[in-house]
Amino acid sequence: MSIYDESAFPVSDEIASVHATQLRQLGEPGTWGTGTQRIAVAAQARQAGYAAGVLEQEPGSREPEEIDFPAAVRDFIRKLAVAPKDVVKSDYEEVRASGLSDEEYVEIVGIVSRATNVDIFARGIGVPLQPLPEPQPGQPSRERPPEAIPEHAWVPTIPNGAAGGEIGEELYQGKPKPYIIRGLSLVPDELRRHVTLEYAQYLPIPRILDMEYSHHTGLTRPQVEVVAGRVSSINECFF
Amino acid sequence: MDVNLRALIDPSIDVGVAGGAALLDFSDTLLGPNRVALDRARTRLAQELGLPAVAGAAAVAANFSKNDRIANGCGIPIDPAILKITKDIRADLGLNEFRSAKNTFQHFADE
Repeated sequence: MSIYDESAFPVSDEIASVHATQLRQLGEPGTWGTGTQRIAVAAQARQAGYAAGVLEQEPGSREPEEIDFPAAVRDFIRKLAVAPKDVVKSDYEEVRASGLSDEEYVEIVGIVSRATNVDIFARGIGVPLQPLPEPQPGQPSRERPPEAIPEHAWVPTIPNGAAGGEIGEELYQGKPKPYIIRGLSLVPDELRRHVTLEYAQYLPIPRILDMEYSHHTGLTRPQVEVVAGRVSSINECFF
Repeated sequence: MDVNLRALIDPSIDVGVAGGAALLDFSDTLLGPNRVALDRARTRLAQELGLPAVAGAAAVAANFSKNDRIANGCGIPIDPAILKITKDIRADLGLNEFRSAKNTFQHFADE
């Protein structure tokens, strides 16, 4: 049984399985946030989508209770969720000034990015948004990779090569990776889940230079790149 | 790949792939606030490229929406090797005007 069984459009088992797993994981303790905090971040992002009119709330659907985040954090979650092109360094600095660490910030970026991904997908295939899970008890692991250092992003990242240590070797699969992969490396689980979605929803990264390869039934690689390019243009993502 | 990149900035231009206009319309409406237009674009996409293409296009659009948030949220730069080979196309398409371009140019010169 798939979470997308009611879709009129066939959804791969791979995508359905990854989304089901990652939705469940949202409610579990993460690296820096409790299950309750993580669900609250995802819920805040979803509420921003409703308010902006880019997500539709099902009648009778229940959203989790909100947590009293600092105003800067709440504003950042909302902006990242619905207007990523407007995110600037001062937003990051204000979140940090409100008391959150770089690690907590990165986990929030990861959660908002992945949660909006699942919601946009549901909207795309015309099914209701998946209910957010109940938060699970437990404490975050608070494991920070010591290899993460200031490089060129706003947040510390694990370097390519020997400086990345064993964790870098595992995360980057033995090959130098661009910042679009390394950006979340301060919280390795967020990077792993981002890459898992990349494999399922775009293509396996080792195949990226194979222009004849498409991961999606019914779409050629050029057609895939048209969608990718247009979305990134709308979001004004320079990368 | 014979994609007309200018169409990614101006979707009124022929992008040069089969079903291109339908894909662009779907992408735009998926990220926009008009649900009726999205539903219409989804139907058009299914008619032009088939039912499986809808989930594929939704998956790609959602995935790159994720990536755009990660990139802009973490303030990551383009890596120098990519910066070098994209210089002309970035200038041609006006990409250097994006707010997030600053995250690259504060570290790497556009030579």
